[in-house]
Amino acid sequence: MGGGEKRKSSFKNLANAKKRRTGPHLPSSILKTIANEKRPLNSDEGDDEIDSAYGDFYEYEEGVPEEESRKNNRYERVVNYEFELAEDCEVKTCFKLSLFQPKDENVESEDDDDDDDDDDDDRHSRMLKNVTELPISAFQGESKNKRVVFTEPYPESEFNPTRDVLEGKSLTTIDDFMEPLQGLHGNSQLSNMISRMRKDTQSLVHAPLPKPEQERLERDVANELVYKGFDIWVPLVKRNREAPTIYFNQDVNVGYSTVGAIASQFHPRTEFEMKMASLLDDHEILEAHKEDGARLLEFNEVSMEDHIKRRNHVAKMRSMLFRVDLKHKRIKQIKSKTYHRLKNKDLNQSGVGAFMEPAMAKEEAKKQEARRVKERMTLKHKNTGQWAKRMLSRGLNRKYDVTQAALSKQLQIHATLSRKMNSTKDESSSDEEDLNDGSDQDTSKLIAEAKEKILKTVDDDEVPISRLMSLPFMARAVKKKNEEAKEEGKRDIEELEKFGGAETSKKSTNVVGRRVFGAEAPKESEKESDNLFDNSDSSDNDMEDNELEAVKDNASPARNTETIMEAEKLDDIAGNPASKTTFDVALYASGSWKKMTGCKNAESKKASKTHVPISQSQDKKESSDSESDDSESDDSESEAEQMVDGILTCGSKETYEIPCQAELVSRAFAGDDVEGDFEKDKQEVLNQEVPEPEKPVQVAGWGHWTNNQNKRGLPSRIVREHEEAKKTREQALRKRKDASFKHVIISEKVDKKAEKLQTKSLPYPYTSKEVFEQSMRMPIGPEFNPTTIVGVLNRPEVVKKAGVIIKPVKFEEVNPNDEHPRSHQKQKPKKKGALKLNTRQRVIQ
Amino acid sequence: MKIKTLSRSVDEYTRERSQDLQRVFHNFDPSLRPMEKAVEYQRALTAAKLEKIFARPFVGAMDGHRDGVSCMAKNPNYLKGIFSASMDGDIRLWDISSRRTVCQFPGHQGAVRGLTASTDGNVLVSCGTDCTVRLWNVPRPSLEDSSISSENFIEPSATYVWKNAFWAVDHQFEGDLFATAGAQLDIWNHNRSQPVQSFQWGTDSVISVRFNPGEPNLLATSASDRSITIYDLRLSSAARKIIMMTKTNSIAWNPMEPMNLTAANEDGSCYSFDGRKLDEAKCVHKDHVSAVMDIDFSPTGREFVTGSYDRSVRIFPYNGGHSREIYHTKRMQRVFCVKYSCDATYVISGSDDTNLRLWKAKASEQLGFILPREQKKHEYNEAVKNRYKHLSEVKRIVRHRHLPKPIYKAMGIIRTVNDSKRRKEARRKAHSAPGTVVTAPLRKRKIIKEVE
Repeated sequence: MGGGEKRKSSFKNLANAKKRRTGPHLPSSILKTIANEKRPLNSDEGDDEIDSAYGDFYEYEEGVPEEESRKNNRYERVVNYEFELAEDCEVKTCFKLSLFQPKDENVESEDDDDDDDDDDDDRHSRMLKNVTELPISAFQGESKNKRVVFTEPYPESEFNPTRDVLEGKSLTTIDDFMEPLQGLHGNSQLSNMISRMRKDTQSLVHAPLPKPEQERLERDVANELVYKGFDIWVPLVKRNREAPTIYFNQDVNVGYSTVGAIASQFHPRTEFEMKMASLLDDHEILEAHKEDGARLLEFNEVSMEDHIKRRNHVAKMRSMLFRVDLKHKRIKQIKSKTYHRLKNKDLNQSGVGAFMEPAMAKEEAKKQEARRVKERMTLKHKNTGQWAKRMLSRGLNRKYDVTQAALSKQLQIHATLSRKMNSTKDESSSDEEDLNDGSDQDTSKLIAEAKEKILKTVDDDEVPISRLMSLPFMARAVKKKNEEAKEEGKRDIEELEKFGGAETSKKSTNVVGRRVFGAEAPKESEKESDNLFDNSDSSDNDMEDNELEAVKDNASPARNTETIMEAEKLDDIAGNPASKTTFDVALYASGSWKKMTGCKNAESKKASKTHVPISQSQDKKESSDSESDDSESDDSESEAEQMVDGILTCGSKETYEIPCQAELVSRAFAGDDVEGDFEKDKQEVLNQEVPEPEKPVQVAGWGHWTNNQNKRGLPSRIVREHEEAKKTREQALRKRKDASFKHVIISEKVDKKAEKLQTKSLPYPYTSKEVFEQSMRMPIGPEFNPTTIVGVLNRPEVVKKAGVIIKPVKFEEVNPNDEHPRSHQKQKPKKKGALKLNTRQRVIQ
Repeated sequence: MKIKTLSRSVDEYTRERSQDLQRVFHNFDPSLRPMEKAVEYQRALTAAKLEKIFARPFVGAMDGHRDGVSCMAKNPNYLKGIFSASMDGDIRLWDISSRRTVCQFPGHQGAVRGLTASTDGNVLVSCGTDCTVRLWNVPRPSLEDSSISSENFIEPSATYVWKNAFWAVDHQFEGDLFATAGAQLDIWNHNRSQPVQSFQWGTDSVISVRFNPGEPNLLATSASDRSITIYDLRLSSAARKIIMMTKTNSIAWNPMEPMNLTAANEDGSCYSFDGRKLDEAKCVHKDHVSAVMDIDFSPTGREFVTGSYDRSVRIFPYNGGHSREIYHTKRMQRVFCVKYSCDATYVISGSDDTNLRLWKAKASEQLGFILPREQKKHEYNEAVKNRYKHLSEVKRIVRHRHLPKPIYKAMGIIRTVNDSKRRKEARRKAHSAPGTVVTAPLRKRKIIKEVE
């Protein structure tokens, strides 16, 4: 503000004036330098001061603001109080200054007060002269002539520096002291020294900081150090804290474990050890070792005889080796494979047989023969022993490889021992020969076998007489089938006879099992193709035959069981031929067909042969569908099904329109009201969970007998309560989760027994419900967990031993990025780390 | 017809040797045991009840002093030895297992206020209001119990007289320095009759001092100007200081976490600090109803024991706001000093009634040799109890403690006072502009300022 600034400047003027009048008489050059020094600090004020120093008073005249100059009346007139106030201020400050003055003068009155004490003045000027060595007139004139303006309450001194000094202006510099010395002897030296000192800033000694400040700095440094010292512990502490278990004193020293300690307690026990020990403990040898080893040669002396003996022995061994080598080379050069094979066999059979003498070999051969005979007689190695039997009976050979290996080895031994027998019987029987002469013989043999088998099966057709089979119609059917089968068998035999040579051999593979009839089937299907839809009976019979043969078949038991069912059912059908049961079989997948047949059968019996007309064309389509469904299944079966369809379709010639799905469903579930049942169920659940309030009834009691109560009706209170209860029930029902769902019942029943196992709020270290539930999911007891985990699951947080002193933590480097195994995994006591995920930890770091 | 029978292969049930354990086959299919949760809950409940039944924490009292026990020191190198000193200048060495005095250290003229032993357990340092620091050579523990026959007296190996009375002393871990607290903090060497270093920050007297066991060059002091200060001997300067609302009677460093310390405060709470961030406590441990006189950390660093002027000893988890255990007897008076034994199994308290009392750190722990199966059973019980501790019934049983009537009543009063304060605060907050009234948490509120 204008006023404020003015005040400041006026104050400065005063100060400057005072300086000019009372300060020491400084040469103008010094004044200049001072002024120059100050200039760069704040140039504006510096200008001011310089001006004032030279006596040119310059007051900053604030220009009249435009709005107050009333130029052209562009601005509204505003009464400016501020300015006036500023004037006031100035006055006040002046007043203040003047107020201070008398005091100053009082203080300084000793120096230059009034004219009363001339003596004093004299003395003072003399003193000044003594001190400053300047003429008295210089002081007198000053003191007398000029009125001094004091701005400081106390005289300037080293204890009371002026304001300028405090602000860092007009300080006494070393130049001030140097000035009077100019021109004196040694001045140049001194000034050189001083300039050198000025340049040398490094050895400059600053004034020490105040002590509290100093201490605070020290403490700051210390604090930083302490902080860093603590920081290095953080990874270690973190690891210990996060470990699921912390172990103390696991590595308690159990005694000596160094090699030296163990060796010192060694005592020789065996003969060899004794000998060694006697040598090791021999003083002479020890001494020899200690000295220079020259005497060791003496101890090591060998006699001539020994030497020769040894030499001879070595020579002998060498020659032997040489001969063996030669022999091996020769043998190696023989190229005959048979020779090598035989040799190897010999080597295998009797380790040293090759090198045996003939007599010995004979004996050995005898023994071998005896062994073989014995083996043949006893069959000892054919897994007939007690052990082998037990192993086999318990199926252990399949379980353990070792046992199996042992058993197979026994068999092998048996084979090797009994091989001689075979070889003696037919000497020249080799596999190749077998294969060569087999072809012709075998086909005939196979055919014969096939015939036999067929006949046998045909003859053996006697079905075990069960209760079902003993029923007359069953018996009839069986008889019929037997006849059919016999015919079939005959036909087969004929065929077999017809086929001969190589063809029969091919055919022979099909002799056994179902395929026999499978091969037959195409023939029949050819037949059927002519009269597929009209010749019902024949096809039916054929089919039955097929099925019945299948019953006897042993090759595919799994399928047989299914076909048995079918056959039986079809038997039933055959039993009462009138019942041409109808199936919408093709609507279902082949798997569900069997089931449906069963129930349909029953139904058909019950409903006494109801006919469901199926159009032929549709049926065809359906049958094709079914075929496509069964594409993976066997030909024979698909054919069988085809035939079934054939049967089914043949009986129905009326047109039929397939009903839509909904209609089918409604027809299927006709009679049971599912929705109604559900409604009822839901109501029941609701009543159970939110029970309906009991209806108030009049109970026998006071007033009952007077008939008054009857007249009055129920008390209003009871009625009201009942109403309220009803209302609350309705509200509760409305609040239920399943209130808006028509087809859903959501039970809100609280299981009181289970309630005590549940917590309402999440326990402390957990932050998420899922994690908590996961942690509670598995029981931790020994009954529910294998022994290997129980210990880990139940381990306490701190494992320590009573009676062992626990030392404070020792620093060790811990890699903070180390991955720790999860808390539930087993840990070695040494490794203490594991991350506990998702648990809120109050981390003090 | 095939008949299905139970069949067991012999080899799976046959032992190779007669010493082998019989193989037990167990089907761990959870569907076979649908009630496992209920079963374990019931076991937890039983375990909690058994724990209560077997809770017999008081092992024995050590009687012998003729005045209130003022301070104790444990022998860091010998589990059975504990030193105690009383207000009449009597110092005793006790054998914990037999609970008898092994020897006495007479010499102090006034109350002994500080007692500590060197890490090797050979030198005992005591100081007291008679302005002396005395060093004693601790007799080596002999195998045969000689203390029964004669109580031997031991002369001090050195006596240093100093300018002021002492309030506390503590020995550096694995070093030969010890610090005394009095008018200022003095660091002494075993061999010098004068302190090697002195610290003073402020003019108030220091009342407790404790070296950091993990970082042996750091120590913390508390002073009667309600301050806690951390000093670093390497820099021979204090590091940081905080001023709290009430005086701190004792300090304990966590031996497993060198940055953390816990201060026992006059207001009945303990405050856990991180040495790096002293401007707020990390945890406030509330439960005592009167000033906490002494505190000592378990060597495991997982819990600490406090003794209070309210005649009770409590055990707190290092990060828990409330105590897990309170020990009190009818005859126990104001507790002045507590110590956790070096194997973290026992707690020793010294009180105004001239007795030292030995407690188990875990009230229901079975002492002595435990067979592995038994140990497993204990562990399972503990684990299952810990697992279901949040369920109300288990929690109720585990938490229940009988309290002396004065403590119970005082707790009620404190609760009422706190409730009313909270209510008032809430109302004030509700009736002022939002954001103008901010409630600082207790861990910050109790700390007035941190001085640099």
